[in-house]
Amino acid sequence: MDSIIEVQELKREYVTRHGFWKREKRVVKAVDGISFAVRRGEIFGLLGQNGAGKTTTIKMLTTLLAPTGGTCKVLGWSTFGEEKRIRARINFIFGGEMGVYRRLSARDNLRYFSNLYLIPRKEQDVRIQKILGLVELAERADDLVETYSKGMIQRLQIARGLINDPEILFMDEPTVGLDPVGARMLRDIIRRLKEDGKTVLLTTHNLAEVEELCDRLVVINKGKLIASGTPAEIKADSETLEDAYVKLIEGVSA
Amino acid sequence: MSLAVLLSTMRVQMKQSFARPMFRFCLIANPILNTILLYEMFRGSGEENFMAYVVLGAGLMGLWGCICFSSAGDINRERYSGTLALIFATPVSFPVIILGKIIGNTVMSLLTLGISLVTAVVLYRVPLTLESPLYFLLALLAAVLAFVVISSVVACLLTLSRKTELYMNCIEVPVVLLCGFVFPVSVLPEAVRVFSYALSPTYAVELLRLSVWGVNDPAVFWQKLGILLGLTALYAILSALLYRKIDRRVRVTATLEVA
Repeated sequence: MDSIIEVQELKREYVTRHGFWKREKRVVKAVDGISFAVRRGEIFGLLGQNGAGKTTTIKMLTTLLAPTGGTCKVLGWSTFGEEKRIRARINFIFGGEMGVYRRLSARDNLRYFSNLYLIPRKEQDVRIQKILGLVELAERADDLVETYSKGMIQRLQIARGLINDPEILFMDEPTVGLDPVGARMLRDIIRRLKEDGKTVLLTTHNLAEVEELCDRLVVINKGKLIASGTPAEIKADSETLEDAYVKLIEGVSA
Repeated sequence: MSLAVLLSTMRVQMKQSFARPMFRFCLIANPILNTILLYEMFRGSGEENFMAYVVLGAGLMGLWGCICFSSAGDINRERYSGTLALIFATPVSFPVIILGKIIGNTVMSLLTLGISLVTAVVLYRVPLTLESPLYFLLALLAAVLAFVVISSVVACLLTLSRKTELYMNCIEVPVVLLCGFVFPVSVLPEAVRVFSYALSPTYAVELLRLSVWGVNDPAVFWQKLGILLGLTALYAILSALLYRKIDRRVRVTATLEVA
């Protein structure tokens, strides 16, 4: 099976400066030399504590952030320097209520992003209607997003992430704040994407979700990779994936 | 396809901007208030054609205010709503999106000139004459182009920083003063005028005012128009170069998002 995402010794540092007179430079290593590969058609999990470097990794993979070091390739192209080859073929969903235009309707949001993803005008209406149905927003499609509930905004985010029919979908904690029905709907969509041969890379703190969905996963802590494998391999002789995860984190923190 | 992106961005921008109370205030209330303020200031000045300083001045102040608080402020609004990263990572060139936003805002902001005119006519019934309407139309088109390009440079620079609100407040009034929106640049100290004449809106304002008074010597008009278009072209090149740099820089400095 071919690798669709290749990460080798990936690093990202953030430099901040403090103080007024005497500027003090601080370097934070958000991602510190991680390596992994994701195969085409896989659902791949990226696990870790808050601040472990998951979001930074996703941002580098989605061409939003430049790596400080190492290799970061998606679909065989470097995410920094060759991003134009990648962007039309991927999409991403960040959890929470951000990433939508609240003063537009859901349909207008999707139409605008269809234009930005250069989807031919003729295809747009059909595709938008289909996706709105998929995330169960068809009935409220023409209402302003500012009148939506948190869960509806997140479903719109999912719809936006699917608008270009991406080969790879990156999801950063997509179920945060979603009600159980919404979270199940998202899991069903992820499974359907896999059936269609799409690749999904997701981060989540919900370990049951990881066990249910992910083919393979990596665990990162303080920017370093501490474990990788299938959920069963990570679980090993622990009773649950959560037990195994806690042991791993406590093991490296001790 | 770029044209479709440009047009859809303009449409989205106009819808979004008009939905914001602050933008509606800048677009509608500001020119009315500025017209009242400038009329009271110019009433005893001896200037008989109130079109040149009161209507144009108030309209241009409103136009520039809308541009500052929308074209520039939009970068920050997009950043804080999490959409800046999303539009940046689409296959469309980022400058095309920014340009669509700026054109949308600028076209809508032209309403400020009309509102100033209506305010002056309705409230004061003062003499308002436009001696050279065709020259005025030409000057207005060149002015719109100049404002679009200068906004593009500003928006580009503001993509790099998260202190957008501070900077857009810092540029609003200085440009009004330096470019002679409400008084001739000739009243400024000579050293300051150097900056005035490096800014393209100065020539745009002079061309508009010239056509309000009447273009007696077309050579002067064409010369100023030539300088305005030359400066605008220079800004456009600068903007294109900046965008090329900034496209990489924002991903190195991580300023596309808030956190």
